[in-house]
Amino acid sequence: MNSTRITSPLLRPHGSPARWRTIELLTAAIIGVVFGVAYWGYSSTYTALPGLKALTGPFVGLVNGPWLIAGVISGLVIRRVGAAFFAEVLAAVVSTQLGTEWGWTTVISGVVQGAGAELAFAIFLFRRFTWPVAALSGALAAVGGFCYEWFTWLPGFDLEYKLGYLGAFVISGALVAGIGGWVLTAALARTGAIDALPAGQEAARHNAV
Amino acid sequence: MSSPGPLSLLAACLLPVLGAFAVDSARVGLWGVGVELVALGWLARDPRRSVKLLAFGILAAISIFVSTYLYGGRHLDESAAAALRIVYIVLPAALLTPVIQPAELGDHLAQRLHLPSRPVVAAVVALQRIESIGEQWRQVQQARRARGLGPDNGVVRRFTGLASTAFAVLVVSMRHTASTAVAMDARGFAAATQRTWAGPAPWGWSDSIVLGLGIGLSLFPWFLFPWFF
Repeated sequence: MNSTRITSPLLRPHGSPARWRTIELLTAAIIGVVFGVAYWGYSSTYTALPGLKALTGPFVGLVNGPWLIAGVISGLVIRRVGAAFFAEVLAAVVSTQLGTEWGWTTVISGVVQGAGAELAFAIFLFRRFTWPVAALSGALAAVGGFCYEWFTWLPGFDLEYKLGYLGAFVISGALVAGIGGWVLTAALARTGAIDALPAGQEAARHNAV
Repeated sequence: MSSPGPLSLLAACLLPVLGAFAVDSARVGLWGVGVELVALGWLARDPRRSVKLLAFGILAAISIFVSTYLYGGRHLDESAAAALRIVYIVLPAALLTPVIQPAELGDHLAQRLHLPSRPVVAAVVALQRIESIGEQWRQVQQARRARGLGPDNGVVRRFTGLASTAFAVLVVSMRHTASTAVAMDARGFAAATQRTWAGPAPWGWSDSIVLGLGIGLSLFPWFLFPWFF
């Protein structure tokens, strides 16, 4: 940092994972809002199928993965402390504003799921952003969501249902949100839209060599 | 009396969740929902949107009723309690969400709760772009339709259609975000020590009353109901 002092905030190197640049804050927020709208679109589809939900049993957990993707993508793209948490919570706020079947408790879900997604990146000290870390992030987000649902939506069910639901939720979280989020981030880097952000810079370095 | 601010309304949306845990029979549930309607109904401002928001909750309640009945040992009262638990949680949100304004909520979160100001501002900036993001969303879907990629029928195609629309909107929004960030930093957003806000964030009597109602609803199924009945 001493020899080459770069003044443009857009081009400053990565730095400490706790120190956010403006573009990173705004990008995390935009990821939250865009996926909040998408979550809402998805939840409208989901709510329109009550019969299907009732009859598929614990496997309904398999369709929960998409709700965890904002946190994973934000964590992968921005690589800062709190990025996954911030985007997932904001996405929950946005979908609540637009209307979901869970009211403002959607935000509580967003908080516990965001905390789970964040935990995976924290375990690797915000240094590794590979697909296994992304999958772990999606899986832990599902575990976070499950811990909350244990007390709210699941009390009437027997234990086998709950465990089956947890398994389905984690698989869906790891595959759809984790791997899916990683693929989406890679595609995003290819478009050049995130060139100013760590994930985009890494992709650019790869392409340059 | 001034109208209550977003923080007390938000608290009144969230606190009843704590009460919902104690809804263990249809009787408690029905009384709870009735009390809730009286306690918070007078605050609703947009009945049409409230009914729409509540419809989501009613559908969820029906579905949880059926699945709890089928997978929870076929107890009618327990299943009805599970359904009413959801209504107890969703009803405050349906009544009060239309009253809460995101920008105002941001002002209050930063000034009254002293949440970190930069993330709050970033969130408000992004929230204010919901409209334009919604417009982009429509345009992308129209473009998809024009190219013969929609309308999306069937669960899988609907899902992949949703994902690729989200991706396109994300790319457009990210490009826009880069220029917004430069504009904000040009005005000293990153390094500012003193900030001004769009509006003041007062806490009035009406806020205390709404907060009190929220606390009351969190306690009702636990204590007040067994005490009164």
